[in-house]
Amino acid sequence: MSDAQTIAVEIVGIEQVTPLIKHFKLAPVGGGNLPVFSGGSHIIVVMQGTERLHKNPYSLLGSPQQLDTYEIGVRRMEESRGGSHFMHDAVKVGSRLEIAHPVNLFGLDKIARKHVLIAGGIGITPFLAQLEDLHGGGVPYELHYSVRSTEHAAFLQRLRQREGDRIHMYYDSEGQTIPFEPLLASQPLGTHVYVCGPAGMITHVIATAQFCGWPDSHIHWEQFSAPPVGDAFEVFLARSKISVHVPPDQSLLESIEAAGVEVPYLCRGGVCGFCHTRVLELDGTLVHNDHFLSDADKAKSKSIMPCVSRAQCKRLVLDL
Amino acid sequence: MLVTGIKSKPVYAPLQADLRGRYHLMLGMDAGAAPLLRVIAEMRAASAQSVMNTRVLLVPGAPAAVEQFTAAAVGDVQAFPGTPALLEQFRAILGQSLMGTRLYVAGPESFIGLVMKIALEFNLNKDEIRAEESGTLARRVYCIHCRATTENVRTNIVRCVDCDTWLLVRDHYSRRLAAYMGVMVDAEAPGELPPLKEVFL
Repeated sequence: MSDAQTIAVEIVGIEQVTPLIKHFKLAPVGGGNLPVFSGGSHIIVVMQGTERLHKNPYSLLGSPQQLDTYEIGVRRMEESRGGSHFMHDAVKVGSRLEIAHPVNLFGLDKIARKHVLIAGGIGITPFLAQLEDLHGGGVPYELHYSVRSTEHAAFLQRLRQREGDRIHMYYDSEGQTIPFEPLLASQPLGTHVYVCGPAGMITHVIATAQFCGWPDSHIHWEQFSAPPVGDAFEVFLARSKISVHVPPDQSLLESIEAAGVEVPYLCRGGVCGFCHTRVLELDGTLVHNDHFLSDADKAKSKSIMPCVSRAQCKRLVLDL
Repeated sequence: MLVTGIKSKPVYAPLQADLRGRYHLMLGMDAGAAPLLRVIAEMRAASAQSVMNTRVLLVPGAPAAVEQFTAAAVGDVQAFPGTPALLEQFRAILGQSLMGTRLYVAGPESFIGLVMKIALEFNLNKDEIRAEESGTLARRVYCIHCRATTENVRTNIVRCVDCDTWLLVRDHYSRRLAAYMGVMVDAEAPGELPPLKEVFL
Protein backbone atom coordinates (compact mmCIF):
# COMPACT_ATOMS: atom_id res chain seq x y z
CA MET A 1 0.00 0.00 0.00
CA SER A 2 1.30 3.45 -0.81
CA ASP A 3 -0.04 6.88 -0.11
CA ALA A 4 -0.98 7.25 -3.78
CA GLN A 5 -3.88 4.93 -3.05
CA THR A 6 -5.36 6.94 -0.21
CA ILE A 7 -8.75 8.62 -0.29
CA ALA A 8 -9.25 12.26 0.66
CA VAL A 9 -11.99 12.67 3.27
CA GLU A 10 -13.54 15.52 5.16
CA ILE A 11 -14.70 15.37 8.77
CA VAL A 12 -18.46 15.97 8.68
CA GLY A 13 -19.33 15.18 12.29
CA ILE A 14 -17.64 14.91 15.68
CA GLU A 15 -19.26 13.81 18.92
CA GLN A 16 -17.64 13.35 22.30
CA VAL A 17 -19.33 10.08 23.29
CA THR A 18 -17.43 9.40 26.53
CA PRO A 19 -14.85 11.38 28.49
CA LEU A 20 -12.14 9.59 26.44
CA ILE A 21 -13.76 8.65 23.14
CA LYS A 22 -14.66 10.84 20.21
CA HIS A 23 -16.86 9.65 17.37
CA PHE A 24 -15.90 10.96 13.91
CA LYS A 25 -17.85 10.89 10.65
CA LEU A 26 -15.78 11.02 7.46
CA ALA A 27 -17.18 11.77 4.00
CA PRO A 28 -15.32 11.66 0.70
CA VAL A 29 -14.16 15.08 -0.48
CA GLY A 30 -16.41 15.96 -3.40
CA GLY A 31 -19.22 13.65 -2.32
CA GLY A 32 -20.16 10.21 -3.58
CA ASN A 33 -19.55 6.88 -1.92
CA LEU A 34 -16.62 5.35 -0.12
CA PRO A 35 -15.44 1.77 -0.85
CA VAL A 36 -17.59 -1.12 0.38
CA PHE A 37 -16.45 -2.92 3.51
CA SER A 38 -17.49 -5.76 5.78
CA GLY A 39 -17.98 -5.70 9.56
CA GLY A 40 -14.66 -5.84 11.41
CA SER A 41 -12.75 -3.81 8.79
CA HIS A 42 -10.36 -1.00 9.68
CA ILE A 43 -8.90 1.94 7.83
CA ILE A 44 -5.56 3.66 8.24
CA VAL A 45 -5.97 7.37 8.93
CA VAL A 46 -3.07 9.50 7.76
CA MET A 47 -2.54 12.61 9.90
CA GLN A 48 -0.01 15.34 9.25
CA GLY A 49 1.05 16.25 12.78
CA THR A 50 3.34 19.13 13.63
CA GLU A 51 6.42 16.96 14.00
CA ARG A 52 5.60 13.98 11.85
CA LEU A 53 3.11 11.98 9.86
CA HIS A 54 0.87 9.67 11.88
CA LYS A 55 -0.77 6.61 10.36
CA ASN A 56 -3.12 4.92 12.78
CA PRO A 57 -5.56 2.03 12.26
CA TYR A 58 -9.17 2.57 13.35
CA SER A 59 -12.07 0.11 13.03
CA LEU A 60 -15.04 1.20 10.96
CA LEU A 61 -18.08 1.25 13.23
CA GLY A 62 -20.84 2.39 10.92
CA SER A 63 -23.19 0.24 8.89
CA PRO A 64 -21.58 -1.52 5.91
CA GLN A 65 -24.81 -0.64 4.09
CA GLN A 66 -24.14 3.07 4.42
CA LEU A 67 -21.21 4.18 2.31
CA ASP A 68 -21.59 7.95 2.02
CA THR A 69 -19.74 8.28 5.34
CA TYR A 70 -17.38 6.16 7.39
CA GLU A 71 -17.54 6.28 11.18
CA ILE A 72 -14.65 5.72 13.56
CA GLY A 73 -14.23 5.95 17.32
CA VAL A 74 -10.96 7.29 18.69
CA ARG A 75 -9.93 6.84 22.28
CA ARG A 76 -7.55 9.42 23.69
CA MET A 77 -4.52 7.36 24.72
CA GLU A 78 -2.61 8.53 27.78
CA GLU A 79 0.71 7.43 26.35
CA SER A 80 -0.05 8.56 22.86
CA ARG A 81 2.78 9.08 20.38
CA GLY A 82 0.61 11.79 18.95
CA GLY A 83 -2.02 10.19 16.69
CA SER A 84 -4.96 10.02 19.09
CA HIS A 85 -4.13 13.46 20.53
CA PHE A 86 -4.06 14.87 17.01
CA MET A 87 -7.51 13.39 16.29
CA HIS A 88 -8.87 14.72 19.60
CA ASP A 89 -7.27 18.17 19.62
CA ALA A 90 -6.48 19.24 16.06
CA VAL A 91 -9.23 17.66 13.99
CA LYS A 92 -12.41 19.74 13.64
CA VAL A 93 -15.52 19.51 11.49
CA GLY A 94 -14.31 20.49 8.04
CA SER A 95 -10.77 19.16 8.57
CA ARG A 96 -9.39 17.10 5.71
CA LEU A 97 -7.53 13.82 6.17
CA GLU A 98 -6.29 10.98 4.02
CA ILE A 99 -7.42 7.41 4.63
CA ALA A 100 -6.40 4.08 3.15
CA HIS A 101 -8.90 1.60 1.74
CA PRO A 102 -10.60 -0.60 4.33
CA VAL A 103 -9.06 -3.97 5.15
CA ASN A 104 -10.73 -6.69 7.21
CA LEU A 105 -8.50 -8.71 9.51
CA PHE A 106 -11.33 -9.45 11.94
CA GLY A 107 -14.15 -10.87 9.85
CA LEU A 108 -17.01 -12.99 11.11
CA ASP A 109 -16.98 -16.70 10.35
CA LYS A 110 -19.80 -16.97 7.83
CA ILE A 111 -20.79 -20.55 8.66
CA ALA A 112 -20.66 -20.28 12.46
CA ARG A 113 -23.73 -21.59 14.29
CA LYS A 114 -23.43 -18.90 16.95
CA HIS A 115 -21.32 -15.79 17.56
CA VAL A 116 -20.15 -14.60 20.98
CA LEU A 117 -18.69 -11.09 20.85
CA ILE A 118 -16.61 -9.80 23.76
CA ALA A 119 -15.66 -6.12 23.91
CA GLY A 120 -13.64 -4.11 26.40
CA GLY A 121 -13.84 -0.30 26.21
CA ILE A 122 -12.89 1.11 22.81
CA GLY A 123 -12.79 -2.52 21.61
CA ILE A 124 -16.52 -2.13 20.96
CA THR A 125 -15.88 -0.37 17.63
CA PRO A 126 -15.38 -3.33 15.22
CA PHE A 127 -18.40 -5.07 16.75
CA LEU A 128 -20.72 -2.16 15.96
CA ALA A 129 -20.24 -2.84 12.25
CA GLN A 130 -20.29 -6.62 12.72
CA LEU A 131 -23.60 -6.38 14.55
CA GLU A 132 -25.01 -4.61 11.51
CA ASP A 133 -24.03 -7.71 9.50
CA LEU A 134 -25.43 -10.10 12.11
CA HIS A 135 -28.70 -8.30 12.77
CA GLY A 136 -31.62 -10.22 11.30
CA GLY A 137 -29.34 -12.90 9.89
CA GLY A 138 -30.92 -15.86 11.67
CA VAL A 139 -27.72 -16.96 13.41
CA PRO A 140 -27.78 -16.49 17.20
CA TYR A 141 -25.33 -13.97 18.65
CA GLU A 142 -24.67 -12.08 21.86
CA LEU A 143 -22.40 -9.22 22.91
CA HIS A 144 -20.64 -8.97 26.25
CA TYR A 145 -19.39 -5.42 26.75
CA SER A 146 -17.22 -4.38 29.66
CA VAL A 147 -16.51 -0.72 30.52
CA ARG A 148 -15.12 1.27 33.46
CA SER A 149 -18.44 2.87 34.40
CA THR A 150 -21.69 4.06 32.84
CA GLU A 151 -20.15 7.28 31.53
CA HIS A 152 -17.56 5.23 29.62
CA ALA A 153 -20.14 3.02 27.89
CA ALA A 154 -19.61 4.33 24.36
CA PHE A 155 -22.38 3.76 21.82
CA LEU A 156 -24.54 1.93 24.38
CA GLN A 157 -27.73 3.73 23.43
CA ARG A 158 -27.23 2.83 19.79
CA LEU A 159 -26.63 -0.81 20.77
CA ARG A 160 -29.58 -1.05 23.14
CA GLN A 161 -32.02 0.41 20.65
CA ARG A 162 -31.15 -2.17 18.08
CA GLU A 163 -30.03 -5.24 19.96
CA GLY A 164 -32.01 -5.07 23.21
CA ASP A 165 -31.20 -7.91 25.58
CA ARG A 166 -28.54 -9.39 23.29
CA ILE A 167 -26.26 -6.83 24.95
CA HIS A 168 -24.80 -7.84 28.29
CA MET A 169 -23.17 -4.94 30.14
CA TYR A 170 -20.46 -5.16 32.81
CA TYR A 171 -19.31 -2.10 34.79
CA ASP A 172 -15.93 -2.17 36.56
CA SER A 173 -17.23 0.56 38.90
CA GLU A 174 -19.91 -1.85 40.13
CA GLY A 175 -17.39 -4.67 40.51
CA GLN A 176 -18.91 -6.53 37.57
CA THR A 177 -16.76 -8.72 35.35
CA ILE A 178 -17.59 -10.87 32.36
CA PRO A 179 -17.95 -14.48 33.65
CA PHE A 180 -15.49 -15.76 31.07
CA GLU A 181 -15.27 -19.36 32.14
CA PRO A 182 -18.97 -20.17 32.58
CA LEU A 183 -19.66 -18.26 29.38
CA LEU A 184 -17.12 -20.12 27.28
CA ALA A 185 -17.71 -23.53 28.89
CA SER A 186 -21.40 -23.53 27.96
CA GLN A 187 -21.48 -22.61 24.28
CA PRO A 188 -23.00 -24.95 21.69
CA LEU A 189 -20.77 -26.69 19.18
CA GLY A 190 -20.05 -24.49 16.19
CA THR A 191 -19.81 -21.26 18.21
CA HIS A 192 -17.14 -18.68 17.40
CA VAL A 193 -15.82 -16.19 19.94
CA TYR A 194 -14.48 -12.76 18.99
CA VAL A 195 -12.65 -10.48 21.41
CA CYS A 196 -11.41 -6.92 21.06
CA GLY A 197 -10.22 -4.85 23.99
CA PRO A 198 -7.22 -4.38 26.27
CA ALA A 199 -4.32 -6.81 25.85
CA GLY A 200 -5.04 -8.46 29.21
CA MET A 201 -8.63 -9.17 28.26
CA ILE A 202 -7.64 -10.69 24.92
CA THR A 203 -5.01 -12.92 26.52
CA HIS A 204 -7.49 -14.00 29.17
CA VAL A 205 -10.25 -14.85 26.70
CA ILE A 206 -7.87 -16.87 24.51
CA ALA A 207 -6.50 -18.77 27.52
CA THR A 208 -9.95 -19.41 29.00
CA ALA A 209 -11.38 -20.61 25.68
CA GLN A 210 -8.43 -22.98 25.27
CA PHE A 211 -8.88 -24.18 28.85
CA CYS A 212 -12.52 -24.96 28.00
CA GLY A 213 -11.30 -27.03 25.06
CA TRP A 214 -11.95 -24.56 22.26
CA PRO A 215 -9.84 -25.11 19.14
CA ASP A 216 -7.92 -22.10 17.82
CA SER A 217 -10.01 -21.94 14.64
CA HIS A 218 -13.02 -20.78 16.69
CA ILE A 219 -11.19 -18.02 18.60
CA HIS A 220 -10.82 -14.61 16.92
CA TRP A 221 -9.26 -11.47 18.30
CA GLU A 222 -7.95 -8.12 17.19
CA GLN A 223 -5.70 -5.72 18.93
CA PHE A 224 -3.83 -2.96 17.22
CA SER A 225 -0.66 -2.24 19.14
CA ALA A 226 0.65 1.26 19.04
CA PRO A 227 4.36 1.08 18.23
CA PRO A 228 6.09 1.05 21.64
CA VAL A 229 8.91 3.48 22.30
CA GLY A 230 12.40 2.09 22.85
CA ASP A 231 16.08 2.78 22.48
CA ALA A 232 17.27 4.50 19.32
CA PHE A 233 19.11 2.28 16.87
CA GLU A 234 20.54 2.28 13.35
CA VAL A 235 19.37 0.06 10.52
CA PHE A 236 21.00 -0.56 7.14
CA LEU A 237 18.68 -1.32 4.21
CA ALA A 238 20.64 -3.74 2.02
CA ARG A 239 18.82 -3.28 -1.28
CA SER A 240 18.39 0.48 -0.98
CA LYS A 241 21.94 0.76 0.35
CA ILE A 242 21.08 3.41 2.93
CA SER A 243 21.42 3.75 6.67
CA VAL A 244 18.39 4.87 8.67
CA HIS A 245 18.31 6.21 12.22
CA VAL A 246 15.32 5.05 14.31
CA PRO A 247 14.66 7.49 17.17
CA PRO A 248 13.08 6.30 20.45
CA ASP A 249 9.55 7.53 19.71
CA GLN A 250 9.36 6.62 16.04
CA SER A 251 8.70 3.12 14.77
CA LEU A 252 11.07 1.25 12.49
CA LEU A 253 8.45 1.35 9.72
CA GLU A 254 7.91 5.09 10.10
CA SER A 255 11.65 5.73 10.05
CA ILE A 256 12.12 3.65 6.90
CA GLU A 257 9.23 5.45 5.23
CA ALA A 258 10.63 8.82 6.25
CA ALA A 259 13.85 7.82 4.49
CA GLY A 260 11.85 7.38 1.30
CA VAL A 261 11.68 3.57 1.18
CA GLU A 262 8.25 2.01 0.81
CA VAL A 263 7.34 -1.09 2.79
CA PRO A 264 4.06 -2.88 2.09
CA TYR A 265 1.68 -2.71 5.05
CA LEU A 266 -1.97 -3.12 5.91
CA CYS A 267 -2.60 -2.68 9.65
CA ARG A 268 0.47 -0.92 11.12
CA GLY A 269 -0.45 -2.62 14.39
CA GLY A 270 1.42 -5.93 14.40
CA VAL A 271 -1.52 -8.03 13.29
CA CYS A 272 -1.65 -8.63 9.56
CA GLY A 273 1.89 -9.76 8.76
CA PHE A 274 2.04 -7.67 5.60
CA CYS A 275 5.21 -5.72 6.52
CA HIS A 276 7.11 -8.94 7.33
CA THR A 277 10.76 -8.18 6.54
CA ARG A 278 13.79 -10.45 6.38
CA VAL A 279 16.66 -9.78 8.75
CA LEU A 280 19.99 -10.29 6.98
CA GLU A 281 22.41 -9.37 9.77
CA LEU A 282 21.99 -8.71 13.45
CA ASP A 283 24.46 -7.86 16.18
CA GLY A 284 22.17 -7.70 19.22
CA THR A 285 18.55 -8.64 19.83
CA LEU A 286 15.22 -7.93 18.18
CA VAL A 287 12.39 -6.58 20.33
CA HIS A 288 9.34 -8.28 18.83
CA ASN A 289 6.08 -6.50 19.69
CA ASP A 290 3.83 -8.06 17.07
CA HIS A 291 1.03 -10.64 17.35
CA PHE A 292 1.86 -12.23 14.00
CA LEU A 293 5.11 -14.18 14.28
CA SER A 294 5.09 -17.41 16.27
CA ASP A 295 7.28 -17.57 19.37
CA ALA A 296 9.55 -19.95 17.48
CA ASP A 297 9.94 -17.48 14.61
CA LYS A 298 10.57 -14.64 17.04
CA ALA A 299 13.33 -16.64 18.67
CA LYS A 300 15.00 -17.29 15.28
CA SER A 301 15.50 -13.55 14.71
CA LYS A 302 15.36 -14.07 10.95
CA SER A 303 12.44 -11.72 10.38
CA ILE A 304 10.79 -8.68 11.92
CA MET A 305 7.52 -6.75 11.68
CA PRO A 306 8.80 -3.17 11.42
CA CYS A 307 5.40 -1.60 12.19
CA VAL A 308 5.69 -2.31 15.93
CA SER A 309 8.98 -4.15 16.52
CA ARG A 310 12.38 -2.67 17.24
CA ALA A 311 15.94 -3.76 17.92
CA GLN A 312 18.56 -3.36 20.61
CA CYS A 313 21.70 -3.75 18.62
CA LYS A 314 24.88 -2.34 17.19
CA ARG A 315 24.04 -3.42 13.68
CA LEU A 316 20.83 -4.48 11.91
CA VAL A 317 20.61 -5.16 8.18
CA LEU A 318 17.21 -5.59 6.56
CA ASP A 319 16.30 -6.98 3.14
CA LEU A 320 14.76 -3.75 1.92
CA MET B 1 -9.38 -35.85 -17.74
CA LEU B 2 -7.55 -35.50 -14.47
CA VAL B 3 -8.42 -38.54 -12.40
CA THR B 4 -5.77 -38.58 -9.67
CA GLY B 5 -3.57 -35.92 -8.13
CA ILE B 6 -6.61 -33.85 -7.19
CA LYS B 7 -6.32 -31.78 -4.03
CA SER B 8 -9.84 -32.39 -2.78
CA LYS B 9 -9.12 -36.07 -2.14
CA PRO B 10 -9.16 -36.38 1.66
CA VAL B 11 -5.96 -37.46 3.36
CA TYR B 12 -6.23 -39.10 6.77
CA ALA B 13 -3.62 -39.63 9.44
CA PRO B 14 -3.30 -42.07 12.35
CA LEU B 15 -5.52 -41.01 15.24
CA GLN B 16 -3.96 -39.28 18.23
CA ALA B 17 -5.57 -38.18 21.46
CA ASP B 18 -6.11 -34.43 21.71
CA LEU B 19 -6.16 -33.73 25.42
CA ARG B 20 -6.82 -30.04 24.86
CA GLY B 21 -10.42 -31.10 24.22
CA ARG B 22 -12.78 -31.28 27.18
CA TYR B 23 -15.18 -33.87 25.71
CA HIS B 24 -14.35 -36.66 23.29
CA LEU B 25 -16.77 -38.23 20.85
CA MET B 26 -15.60 -41.34 18.97
CA LEU B 27 -17.28 -42.99 16.01
CA GLY B 28 -16.11 -46.33 14.69
CA MET B 29 -17.08 -49.00 12.22
CA ASP B 30 -15.76 -52.54 11.83
CA ALA B 31 -11.96 -52.48 11.95
CA GLY B 32 -12.14 -48.86 13.12
CA ALA B 33 -12.58 -50.12 16.69
CA ALA B 34 -8.86 -50.87 17.03
CA PRO B 35 -7.54 -47.34 16.37
CA LEU B 36 -10.15 -45.95 18.77
CA LEU B 37 -9.09 -48.35 21.52
CA ARG B 38 -5.50 -47.32 20.87
CA VAL B 39 -6.44 -43.63 21.39
CA ILE B 40 -8.29 -44.46 24.62
CA ALA B 41 -5.20 -46.23 25.97
CA GLU B 42 -3.11 -43.21 25.02
CA MET B 43 -5.60 -40.94 26.79
CA ARG B 44 -5.69 -43.03 29.93
CA ALA B 45 -1.92 -42.77 30.26
CA ALA B 46 -2.26 -38.97 30.41
CA SER B 47 -5.67 -38.29 31.94
CA ALA B 48 -8.23 -40.76 33.31
CA GLN B 49 -10.79 -37.95 33.35
CA SER B 50 -10.58 -37.66 29.57
CA VAL B 51 -11.56 -41.33 29.25
CA MET B 52 -14.58 -40.68 31.48
CA ASN B 53 -15.52 -37.74 29.22
CA THR B 54 -15.44 -39.99 26.15
CA ARG B 55 -18.49 -41.27 24.33
CA VAL B 56 -18.28 -44.02 21.72
CA LEU B 57 -20.74 -44.76 18.91
CA LEU B 58 -19.96 -48.00 17.16
CA VAL B 59 -21.10 -50.16 14.26
CA PRO B 60 -19.20 -53.19 15.55
CA GLY B 61 -17.64 -55.72 13.21
CA ALA B 62 -17.87 -58.32 15.97
CA PRO B 63 -19.98 -58.30 19.18
CA ALA B 64 -16.82 -58.54 21.28
CA ALA B 65 -15.79 -55.04 20.14
CA VAL B 66 -18.41 -53.40 22.38
CA GLU B 67 -17.08 -55.27 25.41
CA GLN B 68 -13.58 -54.02 24.72
CA PHE B 69 -14.82 -50.46 25.04
CA THR B 70 -16.84 -51.24 28.15
CA ALA B 71 -13.72 -52.81 29.65
CA ALA B 72 -11.79 -49.65 28.80
CA ALA B 73 -14.23 -47.78 31.08
CA VAL B 74 -15.16 -45.03 28.67
CA GLY B 75 -18.02 -42.76 29.71
CA ASP B 76 -20.54 -44.32 27.38
CA VAL B 77 -20.63 -46.88 24.54
CA GLN B 78 -23.51 -47.38 22.16
CA ALA B 79 -23.66 -50.00 19.42
CA PHE B 80 -25.72 -49.65 16.25
CA PRO B 81 -26.80 -52.20 13.63
CA GLY B 82 -25.72 -49.98 10.76
CA THR B 83 -24.40 -46.61 9.66
CA PRO B 84 -27.78 -44.82 9.24
CA ALA B 85 -28.81 -45.46 12.86
CA LEU B 86 -25.39 -44.36 14.12
CA LEU B 87 -25.49 -41.18 12.05
CA GLU B 88 -28.95 -40.31 13.34
CA GLN B 89 -27.74 -40.57 16.93
CA PHE B 90 -24.54 -38.68 16.03
CA ARG B 91 -26.57 -35.79 14.68
CA ALA B 92 -28.71 -35.68 17.83
CA ILE B 93 -25.61 -35.66 20.04
CA LEU B 94 -23.92 -32.87 18.08
CA GLY B 95 -27.07 -30.78 18.50
CA GLN B 96 -26.57 -30.95 22.28
CA SER B 97 -22.77 -30.86 22.42
CA LEU B 98 -20.69 -27.98 23.71
CA MET B 99 -17.62 -26.22 22.40
CA GLY B 100 -14.61 -28.15 23.58
CA THR B 101 -15.71 -31.41 21.94
CA ARG B 102 -13.23 -33.38 19.83
CA LEU B 103 -14.30 -35.89 17.24
CA TYR B 104 -12.43 -39.10 16.39
CA VAL B 105 -13.55 -41.20 13.44
CA ALA B 106 -12.20 -44.59 12.36
CA GLY B 107 -13.53 -46.99 9.77
CA PRO B 108 -13.97 -47.39 6.03
CA GLU B 109 -13.41 -44.26 3.98
CA SER B 110 -17.07 -43.91 3.01
CA PHE B 111 -18.08 -44.10 6.69
CA ILE B 112 -15.61 -41.33 7.56
CA GLY B 113 -17.02 -39.24 4.72
CA LEU B 114 -20.60 -39.56 5.96
CA VAL B 115 -19.57 -38.61 9.49
CA MET B 116 -17.57 -35.62 8.22
CA LYS B 117 -20.53 -34.42 6.17
CA ILE B 118 -22.63 -34.09 9.32
CA ALA B 119 -19.74 -32.60 11.33
CA LEU B 120 -19.41 -29.94 8.64
CA GLU B 121 -23.07 -28.98 9.08
CA PHE B 122 -22.27 -28.26 12.73
CA ASN B 123 -19.30 -26.08 11.73
CA LEU B 124 -16.67 -28.40 13.19
CA ASN B 125 -13.30 -27.45 11.79
CA LYS B 126 -10.21 -29.46 10.97
CA ASP B 127 -8.71 -28.79 14.37
CA GLU B 128 -11.70 -30.46 16.06
CA ILE B 129 -11.79 -33.65 14.00
CA ARG B 130 -9.36 -36.52 13.59
CA ALA B 131 -9.98 -39.45 11.25
CA GLU B 132 -8.13 -42.64 10.37
CA GLU B 133 -8.96 -44.99 7.52
CA SER B 134 -9.43 -48.54 8.60
CA GLY B 135 -11.06 -50.97 6.21
CA THR B 136 -12.28 -50.80 2.67
CA LEU B 137 -11.53 -47.90 0.32
CA ALA B 138 -14.76 -48.56 -1.60
CA ARG B 139 -16.20 -45.22 -2.65
CA ARG B 140 -19.49 -43.42 -2.75
CA VAL B 141 -19.73 -42.03 -6.27
CA TYR B 142 -21.93 -39.10 -7.18
CA CYS B 143 -23.22 -39.05 -10.76
CA ILE B 144 -22.74 -35.48 -11.92
CA HIS B 145 -25.37 -36.09 -14.62
CA CYS B 146 -28.37 -37.40 -12.66
CA ARG B 147 -27.14 -36.63 -9.09
CA ALA B 148 -27.66 -40.16 -7.81
CA THR B 149 -25.05 -41.68 -5.51
CA THR B 150 -23.75 -45.18 -6.17
CA GLU B 151 -22.44 -46.93 -3.05
CA ASN B 152 -19.56 -49.37 -2.53
CA VAL B 153 -17.73 -48.68 -5.75
CA ARG B 154 -14.48 -50.65 -6.04
CA THR B 155 -13.78 -50.15 -9.74
CA ASN B 156 -12.21 -47.39 -11.87
CA ILE B 157 -15.46 -47.08 -13.87
CA VAL B 158 -18.97 -47.88 -12.73
CA ARG B 159 -22.52 -47.85 -14.06
CA CYS B 160 -24.60 -45.18 -12.27
CA VAL B 161 -27.15 -46.91 -10.07
CA ASP B 162 -29.87 -44.60 -11.36
CA CYS B 163 -29.23 -43.45 -14.96
CA ASP B 164 -27.03 -46.38 -16.09
CA THR B 165 -24.35 -44.06 -17.47
CA TRP B 166 -20.82 -45.45 -17.34
CA LEU B 167 -18.97 -43.12 -14.97
CA LEU B 168 -15.26 -42.51 -14.56
CA VAL B 169 -14.50 -42.35 -10.83
CA ARG B 170 -12.31 -39.32 -10.17
CA ASP B 171 -10.38 -38.32 -7.03
CA HIS B 172 -12.41 -35.09 -7.06
CA TYR B 173 -14.17 -35.28 -3.68
CA SER B 174 -17.08 -33.31 -2.26
CA ARG B 175 -17.15 -33.03 1.51
CA ARG B 176 -20.69 -31.69 1.35
CA LEU B 177 -21.92 -34.74 -0.58
CA ALA B 178 -19.44 -37.16 1.04
CA ALA B 179 -18.81 -38.62 -2.41
CA TYR B 180 -16.33 -38.74 -5.26
CA MET B 181 -17.43 -37.27 -8.57
CA GLY B 182 -18.37 -39.68 -11.36
CA VAL B 183 -18.25 -38.30 -14.89
CA MET B 184 -19.59 -39.98 -18.06
CA VAL B 185 -16.61 -41.89 -19.41
CA ASP B 186 -17.66 -42.40 -23.05
CA ALA B 187 -19.14 -38.99 -23.81
CA GLU B 188 -16.62 -38.29 -26.61
CA ALA B 189 -16.66 -41.78 -28.10
CA PRO B 190 -19.91 -43.59 -27.18
CA GLY B 191 -19.39 -47.19 -26.24
CA GLU B 192 -15.60 -46.94 -25.87
CA LEU B 193 -14.81 -47.91 -22.30
CA PRO B 194 -11.44 -48.33 -20.61
CA PRO B 195 -10.83 -51.78 -19.11
CA LEU B 196 -12.73 -52.33 -15.87
CA LYS B 197 -10.28 -52.66 -12.96
CA GLU B 198 -10.75 -53.13 -9.24
CA VAL B 199 -8.81 -50.25 -7.68
CA PHE B 200 -10.57 -49.23 -4.45
CA LEU B 201 -10.15 -52.25 -2.21
